[in-house]
Amino acid sequence: MSDRSVPRALAWLERILPDDGPLVGDLLEEFERRQSYAWLWWQVLGAMATRAFGAPGDIRPLRLVDDQPVEAMVRTHRWRARCRPVNLSASPISDVGGIGLLLLTAHLSVTVPGAWVALLVAMIAGVGLGAVLVLLGSRSTPPRSIQAHMRAG
Amino acid sequence: MARHLLTDFELMLVVAILRIGDDAYGVQIAREIEETSGRKVLLGAAYAALDRLERNRLVSSSVGAPTAERGGRARRFFRVTPCGIRAAQDTQQALVALWRGVPQLKETRT
Repeated sequence: MSDRSVPRALAWLERILPDDGPLVGDLLEEFERRQSYAWLWWQVLGAMATRAFGAPGDIRPLRLVDDQPVEAMVRTHRWRARCRPVNLSASPISDVGGIGLLLLTAHLSVTVPGAWVALLVAMIAGVGLGAVLVLLGSRSTPPRSIQAHMRAG
Repeated sequence: MARHLLTDFELMLVVAILRIGDDAYGVQIAREIEETSGRKVLLGAAYAALDRLERNRLVSSSVGAPTAERGGRARRFFRVTPCGIRAAQDTQQALVALWRGVPQLKETRT
């Protein structure tokens, strides 16, 4: 590289980042000491990449919350009590139990008609289990600390 | 209670500024980090992190007089604010707490 590469590189950087005069000055000062074109280009390209791919609006530093506020715990408990899901199907995977039962029924109807009794028993047991789960869900109580806060609120 | 924790590079920048003192500007800070830790510093990345720290009021900066050796460009001097010192202390405490009780790390400690 020729000597003209130095001002050209820095002028290029200054044109792209017009508000970064101190950075360009730092690069020029350090280049005078190092006399390394590789270092200078590495710095110039790095500065451009940092500005291009950096997130100027990012929120730093991280904020760690030591304790969850009691109000948030109460809200969370109420939300969970309202949205408690109950899986009434025979499958542990939600939304596929009905399809699985339908396919099993069709398969049994064709291959083993005598197994209908076992399937009927399983369906009745499933409904019973679902009813028990619903009852248990409606009777669940929050921890005492949250209960006290809910009473106070 | 919320507290500030710095990234490793931000912590290096803050400590380097504190080590240098009142004359901490870009080149000095980068040299301090490179000489003490051996980490290569991109000045552009350092300025981006310092801008971020200043937005969060953890450091403050002031522009000095233009000098001929820098082609008429001024130096930007950085100082750590009291909030920055507290953030560095919080980060150090968090790292020490993580460090404590790890036997593999205890063996390599000097």
